[in-house]
This record gives sequence, C-alpha cells and structure tokens, in this order.
Amino acid sequence: MQKLVVIGAGMASGRMLEHLFETVPDSYEVTLFNAEPRGNYNRIMLSPVLSGEKSYAEIVTHDEAWYESHGVHCRFGERVTGIDRDARVVRGENGDVPYDKLVIATGSTPFIVPLPGHDLDGVVAYRDLEDTNRMIEAAGPGRRAVVIGGGLLGLEAAAGLRLRGMEVTVVHLMGHLMERQLDEAAGYLLRRALGDRGIDVICSANSKEILGRDGKVRALMLDDGTELPCDILVMAVGIRPASALGKVAGVETGRGIVVDAQMRTSDPDILGLGECVEFDGQLFGLVAPLYDQAKVAAATLAGAPAAFRPREVSTKLKVTGCDLFSAGDFAEGEGREDIVFRDPGRGIYKRLVLRDDRIIGAVMYGDTADGNWFYGLMKDGTDVSDMRETLIFGPSFQGGAPADPMAAVAALPDDAEICGCNGVCKKDIVTAIGGGASTLDAIKATTKASASCGSCSGLVEQLLAVTLGDGFVRDTVKPVCACTDLTHEDVRRLIKSQELKSMPAVMQELGWRTSCGCHVCRPALNYYLLADWPLDYRDDPQSRLVNERNHANIQKDGTFSVMPRMWGGMTTPEELIAIAEAAKKFGAAVKVTGGQRIDLLGIRKEDLPEIWADLNDAGMVSGQAYTKGLRTVKTCVGSDWCRFGTQDSTGLGIKLEKRLWGAWTPHKVKLGVSGCPRNCAEATCKDVGVICVDSGYQVGVAGAAGMDVKETERLVDVATEEEAIEWTVAFVQLYRENARYLDRPYKWVAKVGLDWVKEVLVDPTARADLVARFDLSQTVYQKDPWAERTDAATRRAWAPLADLSQEAAE
Amino acid sequence: MMGDVIETTQRAFVGVTEVWVPKDGRLIHATGDYGGRSAFEVASVVESFGPGEGLPGKAWAEARPVVLKGFDGSYFKRIEAAREAGLTSAVALPVFDGDELTAVLVVLCGDDDTTTGAIEVWKERDGLLLLEDGYYGAAKHFEWVSQHTHFPRGQGLPGGVWAAQTPILMRDLGSGYRFIRAESAGRAGLTTGLGLPVPVPGGETYVATLLSARGTPIARRFEIWDAREARVGKARGGKGGGCKGGGAVLIDGICEREGPLWNEDTPRRAAVWEGPVGQALGSGLPQVLSGAASVAAGYASMVALPIHRGGEVAHVVAWYV
Amino acid sequence: MNWIDIGALDDIPRRGARVVRTAEGCVAVFRTEADEVFALDDRCAHKGGQLSEGLVHGTRVTCPLHNWVYDLETGKVQGADRGEVATYSARIEEGRILLDPERLARRGAA
Repeated sequence: MQKLVVIGAGMASGRMLEHLFETVPDSYEVTLFNAEPRGNYNRIMLSPVLSGEKSYAEIVTHDEAWYESHGVHCRFGERVTGIDRDARVVRGENGDVPYDKLVIATGSTPFIVPLPGHDLDGVVAYRDLEDTNRMIEAAGPGRRAVVIGGGLLGLEAAAGLRLRGMEVTVVHLMGHLMERQLDEAAGYLLRRALGDRGIDVICSANSKEILGRDGKVRALMLDDGTELPCDILVMAVGIRPASALGKVAGVETGRGIVVDAQMRTSDPDILGLGECVEFDGQLFGLVAPLYDQAKVAAATLAGAPAAFRPREVSTKLKVTGCDLFSAGDFAEGEGREDIVFRDPGRGIYKRLVLRDDRIIGAVMYGDTADGNWFYGLMKDGTDVSDMRETLIFGPSFQGGAPADPMAAVAALPDDAEICGCNGVCKKDIVTAIGGGASTLDAIKATTKASASCGSCSGLVEQLLAVTLGDGFVRDTVKPVCACTDLTHEDVRRLIKSQELKSMPAVMQELGWRTSCGCHVCRPALNYYLLADWPLDYRDDPQSRLVNERNHANIQKDGTFSVMPRMWGGMTTPEELIAIAEAAKKFGAAVKVTGGQRIDLLGIRKEDLPEIWADLNDAGMVSGQAYTKGLRTVKTCVGSDWCRFGTQDSTGLGIKLEKRLWGAWTPHKVKLGVSGCPRNCAEATCKDVGVICVDSGYQVGVAGAAGMDVKETERLVDVATEEEAIEWTVAFVQLYRENARYLDRPYKWVAKVGLDWVKEVLVDPTARADLVARFDLSQTVYQKDPWAERTDAATRRAWAPLADLSQEAAE
Repeated sequence: MMGDVIETTQRAFVGVTEVWVPKDGRLIHATGDYGGRSAFEVASVVESFGPGEGLPGKAWAEARPVVLKGFDGSYFKRIEAAREAGLTSAVALPVFDGDELTAVLVVLCGDDDTTTGAIEVWKERDGLLLLEDGYYGAAKHFEWVSQHTHFPRGQGLPGGVWAAQTPILMRDLGSGYRFIRAESAGRAGLTTGLGLPVPVPGGETYVATLLSARGTPIARRFEIWDAREARVGKARGGKGGGCKGGGAVLIDGICEREGPLWNEDTPRRAAVWEGPVGQALGSGLPQVLSGAASVAAGYASMVALPIHRGGEVAHVVAWYV
Repeated sequence: MNWIDIGALDDIPRRGARVVRTAEGCVAVFRTEADEVFALDDRCAHKGGQLSEGLVHGTRVTCPLHNWVYDLETGKVQGADRGEVATYSARIEEGRILLDPERLARRGAA
C-alpha cells in the first residue's frame, strides 16, 4: 500500500476518494487534512443551510463511518504548514506525515475587497460553515444586512438572510445581476423577483468605504456618498485559488497551481485538484468540472489513463421560487444569432444563442423545464437548422403529442372488470395491492386476476403502477402503436369491460394520442369493436385495408384478383363455364389455388362490379380470399367416393364452410377435413383440422403451414357430425372474442394455453353460448359482399371521380 | 420491506385527516384516515355539508382556511362523535383550482397537555402576514408569540412561502439555528416547519404552516414536489429516448427513516397518475391513504395535497405519519 | 385562372379518396375526417402503389402495398423512409371540389 496524503476535504477531494476506493480499493493508505474542523460536505448547499431550508447534517457527504470503513486518517481542523518535496513529507500543525503521492485540493479563498474598514467585526466572507453560522447568528428580525456582490453566491446569501428575517440590500458593481451568466433582460427579471422578496438591489454601485463604530461595522458607503446601514456586511465578490501551498511546495503556480491533463503538477508525485488549480490558463469555480477532475485524478493515482477536458457548464441559482438556468456563452458577437421568447405576463424569458447552426448559449428565466434539453444539444454540438422555427419552444414541439399514459386506467371506475376469465374488478385488485400484493404474481395468487388466459396482465400491471407509484417497475410491453401505451390485450379487455362501442369512444376513454388513430390501430379497433358488439357497431370501411375494402386482392400492378367460393372444393360444370366465360371476357389469368378453388387475376378495379355480377348470376359468391375471415375448408373425397373414407368429410367440409363464411376474424382462418387418418386434405396443419375416424371425429386446432409449420393439437374427440360442428364453431367464436388482431389461432393458443381453451369449451353451456353469439354475429355479417356491390352506385363510386385526360389534351 | 408498520409509541399530533369533495351542491366524504377511531369514521362517512354548513362548508363558502378550536357549542356537526373520539380542534383547508373548489382537507386534533405542534393560518393584510388563527396544542407560549408576530414579504417561513409562492420546508426551528420565532419555538420543542400557500378565489394571500415537534410529530416524512410546466415541461408520450417531461419532480423532503430525500443531480420523478403523488397531480384532489402496504416507506398513513396555481397543479405536498 | 370542378365533396367518403384521371396518370383526391381535401399523385414513390387505396388517418395516408406513410399537405414520406410525391392545389367551394389546372398541366412538362 502506498501512502497518499490529501490536503483539503472539499467536494473535489471527496469525489476523488470515492473513485479511488471504488477502482483500486487497497492501493492507498490515505491521510486527509482539512483546515475546517470537519470532513467533506456539499459546500454548494450552504445557502439552504443559511436560509434554514436544510440542516448541516443533511449536506454532509462523507461521515465518520465512511472514513473509518475506508481507513482514512482524518486530520480535521489542522493546517498544513509545509511540504518537503525532497523528503516527501507533509508538515501539519500536529505532526508530519510522509507521502508517496500528494494531492493538493485546497480550494479557493474568498476575495475580500481591500476597502477601508474591511477588517471590522461583522464583515464576513461566505465560504464555509463558520461564515454561514456567523451570518445566522447575526440574523434576526429588524436587523440589516448588506451584501457586496450580485453574483450567484451573493444573491443566495441575500435570499437566505432575508428568509432569516433581515432587511437586505445587495450592492453590485456591474449594470445587471449575475452578468457572467445572464444577459440584461434576464438580469432585470431576476432583480424584479428579488425585489418581490423585499431584497433591495443597487447596480452599477461602487463601494467606497466600510464604516464602523467601536470596532464593529455599522454601514457601507458608496462612491456617490450613499450610506447603507447594516449590522452585518457580506463580501461575495469572487474567489481566488488557494494556491499558497503550491508555492510553499515549490511546484509551478500561475494564478493557480498549474496542472496537466492528468492533474499532475510540475512534480509528478504531486497532483492538484479543484478550485486551486489552473489548467490551460483556466480556473474553475463550478462543481461539474471539479467532478471531472476528481475522476481524472483518481485514475492517475490508479495508474490508469485519463485526461481532463473542460466542457460546457450550466448554472442554477438556489433561491427558492426563482427559476433560472444558464449555460454556455451568450455574449454578443459576430456570426451569432439569437432566438428570444418572452412572456411578460408570466415573467418568462428564454434566449438561445446560435453560431453555425449550433447552440452555444442558453439563458432561461421563469421557465427552465427545457434547460437540460438545450444543454444537451449544446454539449453534443447538434446541428439545429431543421428545428430552428420551433427550437425555442422546446422538445415537446419537435414531435410527440402530450401524453398521460396511465390516465385511462386511473380513471376506470371501481367496478370495471379487469379479468374477464375470473370476474375480477378494479376494486378487488386495488384492495389486494393495499393488502400487500405488490407484484403481478402476488395479484394472481390473491385475486386470480390474470391467472387463466393471462390477457389482462398488462392492465393489472398498469394498476400496480398507478397505485404503488414509482416503486413498481413494469416489464416493457409492446403497445398497439404510437397512438397509445396500451397493448392489444389491454384494449380488448377495456372495450368489453367499459362497453366502448365506437371508435371515438375507444380513443377518448383510453386516451389515444391522435385524433384518427393510424394505419396500425384503426383496423385493429375496427375488428375488436365489431367482434364484441355485432349489433351496436357498424363496420367502418375506411378503417379497413385495401383488400378488405374492395373485396378483392390488390396485386402489385394495381389490378385485383377475383376468387369465387367453391364449397368444400366441390364445383359443377355450370360454375366452371361461368368462370371460364368471365375469364375470357375480362382477359384474366386463371390459377388453381392451394385452397381448392380458382383465381382470376388481372382485373381492373372499375371492372370488379361487373365480373362479380356475372359470377353472381351463375350462383357464385365471393370466396373472400382477401379476408380476415374464413378462407377455405379443404376436403378430401371421403366416404362418398374413397375406399378408405370413414365419414363424409366432403359433406362436413361444405357444412362448415357454409356455417362459418362471412364472419370477420382476427386473422384468416383455414380449415381442413380429412376422411381418414391418411389426411389427404392436410387437415393437421390447419387452424381447425378434423380427422374422421370410425368412431367419429378428431378435432384438432392451432396448426400452421405458412412461415411457421406446426401440427394441430387435439382439442376433442366427438362421435357425431353435429358435435364436430358445434366444437368448431365455438372454438372460432372464442378465438374471435379473445385473440389479438393479426394473431393466427396457433399464436393465440400459444399465448393463452390450450388447457385454458379446453377448460372453457368443455362446459356445454359455455359452448352453446359461444355458438349463439357466433350465429348472432352472422345475422349481420354473413352476406355476399359482391352482391352488395354490383349496383350502379358502387360502380360509380369505384370509377374515377373525373377524367381530365381528354381535357388536358385540348 | 414494505409491510413493516412504524411503532406508534409516539402519539400523533393529528388524529384524523379527511377529504370532502363537492357533489351536487354539497360536500360529501371522499376519503379519510381515522387512526383507528372507527365510531367517528362511521359517523363521518355518511355526513354531508351544504355551503356554509359545518366546518368544511364554512371553508368552502367563505373561501378560506378555517381553524376551529373547541367544538362544544360551535357550528361543528359531529360534536358528540368527536368528543367520544377525543378530538377537540380542527383545521379546514379548501383546495381551489382558480375559482372552483375541488376539495376541502380537514385535519382534526385532540387536546392534551403533551401534544406539541402547531397548525397556523396566516393572512396578508396591508402588506404584512398576520396570524389569522392557529391550533397549538400545548404550546401556549408559542401561540402568544405568533399572535404578536408579523412577517413582511420574504421574511420567515410564512413570508418566504408568500414571496416564493411555493411550499417550503424549514429544518431545525429550535436550537442551533435560530428561526425567526425560534426562542419560543425551541421552548415548545418545535423542530420542523412546513409552509404552504393556500390559493383562494379573490386573490387574498393565505399561508398555512404545520410546525412539528419531535415528541408528537405532525409527520415523520415530508415531501415537496414541483409539478409546474415551467419546471417539468409538458408530458410527451411515445417511444424514443430523451426526456419525457411532465409529472412532478421531488425538490425537497426529509424522512425520519431515510434521511434527506432531495437529490440535486438526479431528483426523483413521479409521472402523472403514478402513485399517490401522481394521482393528486392528475386528479387535482387531495389523497389520503392508510394501510401499511400501500403507503411508501412503511408509514401508517399519508396525505398528498395538490396546490393549484395558474390553472395547473403547481406543487404537491405530502406528509407521512 | 380557372380551377376545374371535379366533383362533389360528398362523392369522396370521409377518410377516403377518389381518383382523377389525367393524361399523365392518376391524381388521388383525399378527404380527411375534418373535411379538408388534398390532391397527390396516385403513385407511391416506393413501388408505385395506389395511395388512393390507402388508409387515411389525420392528415396522412398509408400506402396499401408496403405501408409507407405520406403527409397529405406536403406529399413527403414520413418516418424512416425517404421520398415524396407531387401535390396539387385543391379547394372546396360550395360543396364542390376544385383543382388547380395549371399545376396539373405542368406535370406533363416535367
């Protein structure tokens, strides 16, 4: 272990020791000297201690326990009288300490203006706790204070003394307050605010003499003869680096102790740190660069590479109720431009100084909310030319609507049903949280909410956040889109429990950020609403994607494909003839599809009504090959023709298609019915696939044969065709009511679990209810969209609005 | 761990805290913490007050904070029940958003010789803050001193709150640091002072102060949150990095268990609706919570009081017992 | 300068569009929820998709082919994609939609 001696227990040295003990904990045995009879504390917070708003104990940064645990030898209240570089020894008032490395962090001393009378009793500087206590002692109702210096420190002293009950006058040499951080306009506002607090401010005032009586201060006299009576006079005109020890040690000193970028003085074993140093001709009085230096010094002591680079700093004034922010450089100059915003009614002033499209300075009075944002742009040197017009209004004008993400959930009434599976309402959950349940699992265990299908877990987590506050951390969830923070499951649940029956109702009650949603959420909401409220909500074509709106698939060249239904894959000569004639008439390409039907490609939009009419005339209806609904039911020939067929698979397939077609579903649904386990209809990779066997029907669900390939899982075995149909319809309705838009059944079943699906469907009453709801929905939605659109009105609506191609030619 | 309840061997200065809200022209009971006084609670939840009626109604109709010391023979409506519960005095703070009353917060205390603390209401008259009235428990000498004290703008806790228009939390009223009435406060054992602006329609200036003594603290934990748009910006939603804005930031606070709560570099933030402070912010209504698990830091109960200014909730002050 | 009357506002469904054919291709005329009208080339800058078939939200439309989003006022693509389509002046007078022919004619010249 090497010996490290640190002279000065200020904020920089404290931070340096923290870094040091973190990175190389057992490298150094530390002795810490401090002229003040105490350890490290946050000197910046002395102003609230002066005013009474904080106690000294609160601003201590390192206490006895901390020093002890790091083995620091504390020599507080002891001055260092000498440094012998040859012997490598520090001489303290109470004895010598040898060192391998030495850090001088003696800070600064307040500058006392050498006015006549400056050494009278009652003239105080404002640097340390002693000064603060002296001021507090002197403070009392009816007593008077004069503060020389209208900079940061002087104004904080004035405000603190005022709060303590004194009459206070601030005297400032320059034309406006805090001239190093503020321009004149902001300086004016600040002066007005101080005046509101009963603090008098005199600017452009030169102090001439401090008058006393019996060795005690009684007044300050200005150049123009004005006398300002006072019981205490505070000097807050500036600080000077306390570099005396550097001179004593014999290292290079200028205005301060000169250091390099590694914080080393001209003696490599001696480092300088904090307000006492000079780097590259600069001195440092604000804490941010000091913390940077501390990090570098610690690294240097640890033998790690590091370099100190002074950077932009920002200033805040600690006067309660005064909002002030200042950063960078805002002197007038060539090539600089200003953006200013004023709101006189609210006493707000904001100014940005730009040069070469970059912010180099910012001053904010009265509204500092965006201070950090501007500061960030300044530090990063961001090119702001794109944002110039709205820059001054801050980040909220650059895009992103105002948000209140939890308002919707917070506003739910107590009886809002959150978990549909188990009938748990908001009040139950909030009560459980009050009883100690603070995680999703705990809520599941105590209330059963989210314990079944799990779709309401997002809402439960929102309730936890609303009730517990920032103590509860949510897992990141994926909201529906940029218009909301809610997930699909949240929205579906709320549409049901709050009985939201229109898109405006959803957007309003759930706090949508946009007026019309977007191309992601509108189709989803449209589906959820029509699925949950088939009689109350009307499908909105303007919220449908192009294929569904036009009832035909758009192709890459803007033409459409037309596919009439072929029930269960069975057709007739008459149908084929009609298809062939339509193909000839409209010049279509003809393709046989995997779904066991025929596709006519290349039809122009304005011809669609006509080709549909022709096919309708032959008794055919839309195959809905574009739809989020039932596509096809593939079958094999079954017991009608096949020697292996155990049941009438074709017949069942046709019955299923005729029952299910027309219903909107979260995503397309494809069925298959195979007459025997040889599975010629490939039923085992369908959303619902039925395998016929001697004893009846094996109904499987959740298969996939697209980007994912997955075999169906057995839902149930039934004996009769009626039961097979009943289970299939009930499953489809359960899927319709619960799944996320765009989730195929296999995705949905993976989320909620097949066990849960079985649990629900095994109950005959539940099945019957689901089937009834499905049939109800079909009374509205099972109709041929082609037949509705062959009339003249549709033809007109789908033709161009106007044809200017002739006119332009003229 | 949440769930540990603080041992209340020390008696609380405040016995009951309630929130009354206007509905259909009357004030009805919204929430309250009754500290186990179930009979009084039962009597209270069914009560309602018309404008001018009872203590909450008086604060509403007269649009000002009201102190009532001694219920017998007064306009107080629940006299019997209060007596049974050992409650003798009350302070009603109306919570106005501009001209509209959003709620009345009522704090009820019980007299006895050991409870030391003070709740004061200061009012501006001719450019000075004078004591309108206050409840002082056993600190009689302090009461006398306050009655003969005035504060110009910016001076003392009440004057500071008046000038800054923001709540202020003063530490150490007594020994060591001489607060403006410290001599007297020291004798009474008062240690901390919370000052709050009480905005009322008509523009008169009222400041309420809650002065706490170590033995019977009004609260063991105080928080002051700044929610002004000028400080926290507008809330911005959506993904992407950068500051999100909105909500409230904790600018000051102390806690018997956790020590200082303020942090200049990374202050704590609450989003609107997040936790009781967020709910006070979003609803504009005072929140009173009890039940160990739902109250942070293991305290038995808390109050979050929103202070409106300029059409927004400017600050939220919270105290925990 | 005579603006061309191309039809009634009510001929376009709200949050929808109709097409106007011209010698140089089609122009999509949009009607927003708030009854504003905008006219843009009916050809996505990406792969030529018909913007008139896209979903209209606020003052934006999403191309039906690959979801590029356009601002109806400027014709500029939003978000991460880059591109734009030509816009044409349109206005409403007594329930009729009028297009600026001069701008339309210039299309051919370019």
